[in-house]
Amino acid sequence: MGALVIVIPLALFFVLGLVATLIFGWVIPALGGDPNAWYGALIKTAFILLGFVLPLASVLTWMERKQSALMQDRIGPNRASVGGVRAFGLMHFVADALKMLFKEDFVPAKANKFLFGLAPVLAIAPVLITFAIIPWGGGVCPGRLSETLTDETLATCLETGARFQVVHLEVGLLFYFAIASLAVYGTTLAGWASYNKFSLLGGLRASSQMMSYEVTMGMAILGAFLVYGSLEPATIVMAQGSNPLHWGIVTQPLGFILFFVAAIAETKRTPFDLPEGEPELIGYFVEYSGMRFGMFFLAEFMEVIFTAAVVATVFFGGWQLPGLHAGGFLGTAMPHWLVASLGFVVFAFKTFVLCWFQLMIRWTLPRFRPDQLMRLGWKQLLPLSIANILITAAVVLALMPTGGK
Amino acid sequence: MAIGVKVVARPSGIAQDMYVSAVVKGLGVTMRHFFENLFGKKHIVTVQYPEERAVYPKRYRGLHRLMTRDDGSVRCVACMCCPTACPAHCITIVAEETGNGAEKRPAIFEIDELRCVVCGLCVEACPCDAIRMDTGIHAPPVEHRGDAVLGKLDLLAHTGKSEAHQGGLGGEWRGAPPVRTG
Amino acid sequence: MTPPETQLPAAPATVTLTIDGRQVTVQKGTNVLEAARAQGTDISYFCYHPGLSSPAVCRQCLVEVAGQPKLVPSCYTPVADNMVVITASERVLTARRQMLEFTLVNHPVDCPICDKAGECTLQKLYMEWDGHPSRSDVNKVHKPKVVDLGPTIVLDAERCILCTRCIRVCDEVAHQHQLTMAFRGDHEILTTAPGQVLDNPYSLNTVDVCPVGALTSKDFRFKMRAWELYTVPSVCPGCATGCNVEIHHAQGQAWRLVPRPNPDINKFWMCDEGRLTYKELTRDRVVGARLGDDPAPLEKAINYAAERIEQVRQEGGTVAVVLGAQATNEDLYLAARVAIDVLSARVFIAGRPAVPDRVDEILRSADVNPNSAGAKIFGRAAAGGIPELERALQNGELSLVWAIGEDLPLSEEAFAALDDIEMIVQASHEDELTAGADVVLPAAMWAEVDGTFTNVQGLVQRIRRALDAPGGAKPHWELTAAIARRLGVSVDEPNVRALFNEMKSKVPEMAGAEWGRPQPLVQLRFANSRG
Repeated sequence: MGALVIVIPLALFFVLGLVATLIFGWVIPALGGDPNAWYGALIKTAFILLGFVLPLASVLTWMERKQSALMQDRIGPNRASVGGVRAFGLMHFVADALKMLFKEDFVPAKANKFLFGLAPVLAIAPVLITFAIIPWGGGVCPGRLSETLTDETLATCLETGARFQVVHLEVGLLFYFAIASLAVYGTTLAGWASYNKFSLLGGLRASSQMMSYEVTMGMAILGAFLVYGSLEPATIVMAQGSNPLHWGIVTQPLGFILFFVAAIAETKRTPFDLPEGEPELIGYFVEYSGMRFGMFFLAEFMEVIFTAAVVATVFFGGWQLPGLHAGGFLGTAMPHWLVASLGFVVFAFKTFVLCWFQLMIRWTLPRFRPDQLMRLGWKQLLPLSIANILITAAVVLALMPTGGK
Repeated sequence: MAIGVKVVARPSGIAQDMYVSAVVKGLGVTMRHFFENLFGKKHIVTVQYPEERAVYPKRYRGLHRLMTRDDGSVRCVACMCCPTACPAHCITIVAEETGNGAEKRPAIFEIDELRCVVCGLCVEACPCDAIRMDTGIHAPPVEHRGDAVLGKLDLLAHTGKSEAHQGGLGGEWRGAPPVRTG
Repeated sequence: MTPPETQLPAAPATVTLTIDGRQVTVQKGTNVLEAARAQGTDISYFCYHPGLSSPAVCRQCLVEVAGQPKLVPSCYTPVADNMVVITASERVLTARRQMLEFTLVNHPVDCPICDKAGECTLQKLYMEWDGHPSRSDVNKVHKPKVVDLGPTIVLDAERCILCTRCIRVCDEVAHQHQLTMAFRGDHEILTTAPGQVLDNPYSLNTVDVCPVGALTSKDFRFKMRAWELYTVPSVCPGCATGCNVEIHHAQGQAWRLVPRPNPDINKFWMCDEGRLTYKELTRDRVVGARLGDDPAPLEKAINYAAERIEQVRQEGGTVAVVLGAQATNEDLYLAARVAIDVLSARVFIAGRPAVPDRVDEILRSADVNPNSAGAKIFGRAAAGGIPELERALQNGELSLVWAIGEDLPLSEEAFAALDDIEMIVQASHEDELTAGADVVLPAAMWAEVDGTFTNVQGLVQRIRRALDAPGGAKPHWELTAAIARRLGVSVDEPNVRALFNEMKSKVPEMAGAEWGRPQPLVQLRFANSRG
């Protein structure tokens, strides 16, 4: 089993990357289309969500249980089988999905029916939207797939070529904060509309926690903004380059920790799962069942993936790998299609590992108390993030008096 | 006497407050287990239940059963000691006359296995070695709550002869010489 | 010549003696056992019973009396002035232990299947005094088991410890020599006297007094373990004597009645018929209100009843209220108050018909209603009886009959007359009266209500609620009050206690009545043995 957990994801990611490269670098141009037109964006959206995020979120539900089992010296789910093939219990997420779809969709008698139905949508929609700004690769130069390009030619080509990013927004990360903060409506409304004291308490906890940690999250990423001079994720990735010494984790170690902690708090998972708090509240979704509950569940895992993707982008050089450049890997020349596909593999694998790390944290640490949570957020993380900005600003001013870039 | 209170100094300081060292230490433990279980030697303790069975200790308390005498009649004399001892009130007995020397036997003997707390006090209370919990099997899962109420015949299904004193004599046990105990 | 009469000083009525170093003064003629009890020292015994003579056969109550060479049975020794009694010396205790061991030699110790277990004197004394396994290694003597002594009693001669209490109960209470001892030594057994069966009307008292499980009641045998029972003090509803009883109930059901000592009425006894009155609690009960044959909500039935009464009054008809002698004083007081003071109704007293055959000089009276005396008091001078009711019905004088209780022993003709007029009945049991009534209201019975009965001597005795009434049945007074309120009568009493107080202040005959203190619910396993 050991090596498979690395080889199989890598292989799958390569296939996915190849598909994306071929669609935007060959199929669309061959049909006379423009990869950057509206239908191009639509295809990109479909690719990133249906091809990457949703499958990975589903697999994470299995992975979470399997990983926690291994951490706790157990076997974990291994019973679900299709035609006798158990595949380490991988089919459990299919069974889960079937179960949720077919369970009774229960609405409490005194619940606000409209908001009760709206809340899961409000929880899942923002996290889906925010994936628009994630660059999952350097992009592809249409029509030149078999050539070996240089960094310069690729950069020029990408001015008009197909970026591996749904939208190329200059305000990228601000857009992310703007949209992600809407997710708090989903949880709070779910808690309120259920007409249940416990879910209401869960919803209140969720809103206070998410608002508190959004501040730190925004502050923490400002350091990276100062260093790389942009809020546009793809630009930040390019600015980091392929040398790990220039990546955000090295230039902004404190910013990374602060951002990562705050982002985990935003996902409302242990050790920050106070809104859920099984032994005390059961959570804002206590009255939810069936696929409505499934949407909260899925939203949580997509937030995990998104957090991993943003951290990979801002602090781990996105799709870049030391030695990998437009012309090939180290001295080996590679055709453009291979490099573009490998870019996706690198990005996806970084995301995957960061998801794994988040699961690791989730199954290691105990839950905070509400007062500890607030103290950590406001009295420790926030001052540190402000200090991080000041120090970064001073250093940036000293080293680059004319500003970033 | 006042209760002795030991005041434990709360760890404090910036390192404690930031949780960093504790987090790193904790992650170290969990990661070690994760990687060892994934790549190296396995510590896994799970018993795959239907295929593998844990070995139960000899005095494991499983499903109840009723014992019989040599003549096959139920040993229970409906003395109601077990329902009296039962903390969960899960035993229901209705007595009837036997018409022979044993005089009394249960017409109805029911145990609600869902109510049972498996404490074994009924076995302790029984003066006749009529009820035991040594079947070694679990109370079976049921579709309906009523199915978990085991009647006399269900309980006799796992029966065996009791080897206790007084055993096997049926209603004639009074005729035997007394047995010295203690 | 007659010797001059010497003027002796009148002998004092009391005697002072010393028991275990403490002085105690008791009535002359008391035995040492009772004197010790009065002083707070319990002496164990099997054969003695405060209501019976003392044969001193069990030797379990031996005590040491200063100046006497041998131990004496305390139950048989009258107190004397300056007597010095020691009840707990080593010599006494050894003797008693040895007596107990002797008693146990042939006892089968089959407590698990013995009905007396939990309230057995032998069991209790063994746990207190002995607690050791038997030292005997010879077979026990076998005696007859499951012997049918009569219609009510089964004997297990092996369990019998030959105390003769049961024989004395038959001789001294029922005045019939139906039991006797046969054979001698360890083959001695209890048996029926030649040509007799144990069928006197007080036979079940032998089960109560039996200190072991030798005599068991066929009715109670194997039904319920004694320690599961809860006991509630009450009064037997079987006849006008009003024997004091304990209702023994468990699992929401009465299992038996046993007598409760009351020196003024029943001493320690009650009759077999009275013991079975608990069966009435579950026989053919009216569990819901009915209008004619159709079940109706209680509220609706009460409204309908009140409407009918109101209508009859407006039309100038005559309302008759029948006070049933099975109901409590409080029920009847309220019904009479409403009937006489408000409705100006005609009042009749009814009840179960008298049974002249059952009367004896002991406890049983011919009147089988527990509260006839009370009904007479509340019906006041104007009240008629069954003959008057019958006449009034046949003459068509009545337009509506409202009966508290369903016992109306009327003739066929009177029943036929009832069909033509409105009939409201607050009934506990289904019978031909409830079958023909226009409104049937479900009424609780004596074991299901709090209240008082007035017995034939005029003693007002408290009955207590032991069980929940089945279905929607309510106490009579609540039903009466509900109808009365709809008729515009103010019934302010919130509960039966208030009604009792009101009755006590208004009715001179009730002035001496006492409600009594609240009784905690006692489970028999925490009470003493009843042997």
